[in-house]
Amino acid sequence: MNVSQILAFLQETLPSERLEAQEMPINEQVISLPPQTLRPAVQALLEQSDVYHLSTITGQDMDGQIELLYHFWHGGGLTLRISLPRQEPSIDTIIDLIPGAAFYEREIVEMLGVSFLGHPDPQPLLLPEDWEGSPPLRREFALPEEREEEEG
Amino acid sequence: MTTQITIPIGPQHPLLKEPLSFMINVEGERVVDSALRLGYVHRGIERLCQTKTYIQNLHLFERVCGICSHVHTTAYCQGVEALLGLEVPLRGLHLRTLMCELERVHSHLLWLGVLGENIGFQTIFMYAWRDREIALDIMEELSGGRVTHAGNVIGGVQIDISDEQFYSIVYRLNDLEQRVEKLLDVILHERTLRARTQGIGYLSPEEIRRYCVVGPVARASGVDIDLRRDSRYAAYGRLHVNVALAHEGDVWARTLVRAREAIESLRLCRQLLVALPEGPTRVRAPRRVPPGEVVSRAEAPRGELVYYIRSDGSDKPARIKIRTPTLTSLITVHDQLEGVETADISVVLSGIDLCIACADR
Repeated sequence: MNVSQILAFLQETLPSERLEAQEMPINEQVISLPPQTLRPAVQALLEQSDVYHLSTITGQDMDGQIELLYHFWHGGGLTLRISLPRQEPSIDTIIDLIPGAAFYEREIVEMLGVSFLGHPDPQPLLLPEDWEGSPPLRREFALPEEREEEEG
Repeated sequence: MTTQITIPIGPQHPLLKEPLSFMINVEGERVVDSALRLGYVHRGIERLCQTKTYIQNLHLFERVCGICSHVHTTAYCQGVEALLGLEVPLRGLHLRTLMCELERVHSHLLWLGVLGENIGFQTIFMYAWRDREIALDIMEELSGGRVTHAGNVIGGVQIDISDEQFYSIVYRLNDLEQRVEKLLDVILHERTLRARTQGIGYLSPEEIRRYCVVGPVARASGVDIDLRRDSRYAAYGRLHVNVALAHEGDVWARTLVRAREAIESLRLCRQLLVALPEGPTRVRAPRRVPPGEVVSRAEAPRGELVYYIRSDGSDKPARIKIRTPTLTSLITVHDQLEGVETADISVVLSGIDLCIACADR
C-alpha cells in the first residue's frame, strides 16, 4: 500500500482534518495529526492497511512544544507527527492497540515528562526510581559539566 | 497448597553477561510471573550526543553496543549523509556492507556459543567461539580493531583492501563457511541440543506482529522481514539477499535461522569482494549539517535498528533517537517465560539474544 492510499483512507477516517504527507530523506513519509486523532488513525492503519509494525516513538522538546513521532515501517517508512503543549503534555496510550509500544511510551514518560493516559505501568524504564529533577531530554536539563560551566 | 517464591536474577548474576534485573515468581518448578527492570547500564547517550559534534558522535555511537558496533555507525552515517546530500562512492558502500556482514557472522557465532554454554553443551560453545575468531581476525586486519572498528566515517569508510588481502580473506571466508556448515549440521541433528531448545520460548506470528518484534526472533516465527532486502540500503541494493526463515517459533528455530543467516552472510561477503568496484572509498563531508530530519534504518544482527536524526543547522545534532532491536524482543520475555520450568529460564533468555548495553543506551 503506498502513501497516497494511506493518506486517502486516513482522510476518510478523520474528515474534519486536512491531512498532508511530507517527504523525509531515505524513503520516509510524514503525516501531521492533531493529538486527539492519533488513536483513531492508528486503529484505522491496523484495520485497513498492511501497516502494523511500529518501529519506535521519538519524543523531542521543540520550541514551545513537545513533539512525538510515531515511526511505522511497511516496506517504506511512515511517521505520524503529533505536537503537544510543553506544560503538562498528555496523550492517549496506544498500547492496547499495539502492545509493542509499551517500552517506548515508558521511555517518553521519564525522558520528557509526557503522560500517557491509560498506560497500565508508566514507571521508569531506564532512570533510577529516585530520579530527581527535570526529565533529562527537556531543554531545562543540564549535564553536570554544563552546570559547572554556568557556575564558573 | 502451593506457595509462590520470588527468585531475583540480576542485576549482577553469573548467568547474565550484562546487568539486567528479573524478578521471577515460581510455583514449584514452574514460572508463573516475571518482572523486568532495565537501566543498569544506561549512559544517557541520547542526551550526551547533543553536546558533541557529528564527528565526535561517530565514536560515541560506536560504543552503544559492544557487539554490533559497526551497524550503529552505519545507520548514523547514512542518516547524516542523507541530510548532507552526500553520495558515498560505491567502493565505500561495498566495504561498509562487508563489515556489516562480517559483524553479523561474528555476532551470530558469539550467540551460538552463549546458547551452548547455557544449555550445558560446552562443545558447541568452544567450536562456535573458535570459529568466530576468523571473522574477528578479518575485521581486525581491515580496521585495526576487533570490536570497535572505527570503519565508518561520514561520507564513506576509512578502511581499504589490497589485492593480497583480497585473496587471503576469500580463502578464510571459505574456510569459515565450511565450519559454520558443520555447526548447522550439529544444530539440525544433535539430539541434546534439540531436546533443550525445541518447544521452548514459543512466539506465534501474531504475537511477533503485535509486539513489533524484529530480526531473527521474528524470522524464526515465520514473519518475513529483513531490511537488507526490504530497504536495500548501503550496497544491499546490488546484492540478492536470501532471507532465512523458520516456522517453529521456538529457541531451536532461532538457532537454525541464525546459523543459516551466518552462512548467507559469508556468501554475501564473497559477492561484495568479488564485485568490489575501483575508486575512492569516501568523500569529504562538511562539518555543519543543514537543517532537516531523517529516519535511518539498518538491519543489525538482532534486527531493525532505527536512528532518528534532527539537525538545526549547526555542527551538533539537535536530537538523535536510537531504537535498538533488543528492546523489541525484551517486551516478549514475560510471555515467553510464563509456564516454563526454572531450568529453561536461561534457554529462553539466551534465545532472544539480549544486548543490554544496546537496550539501555
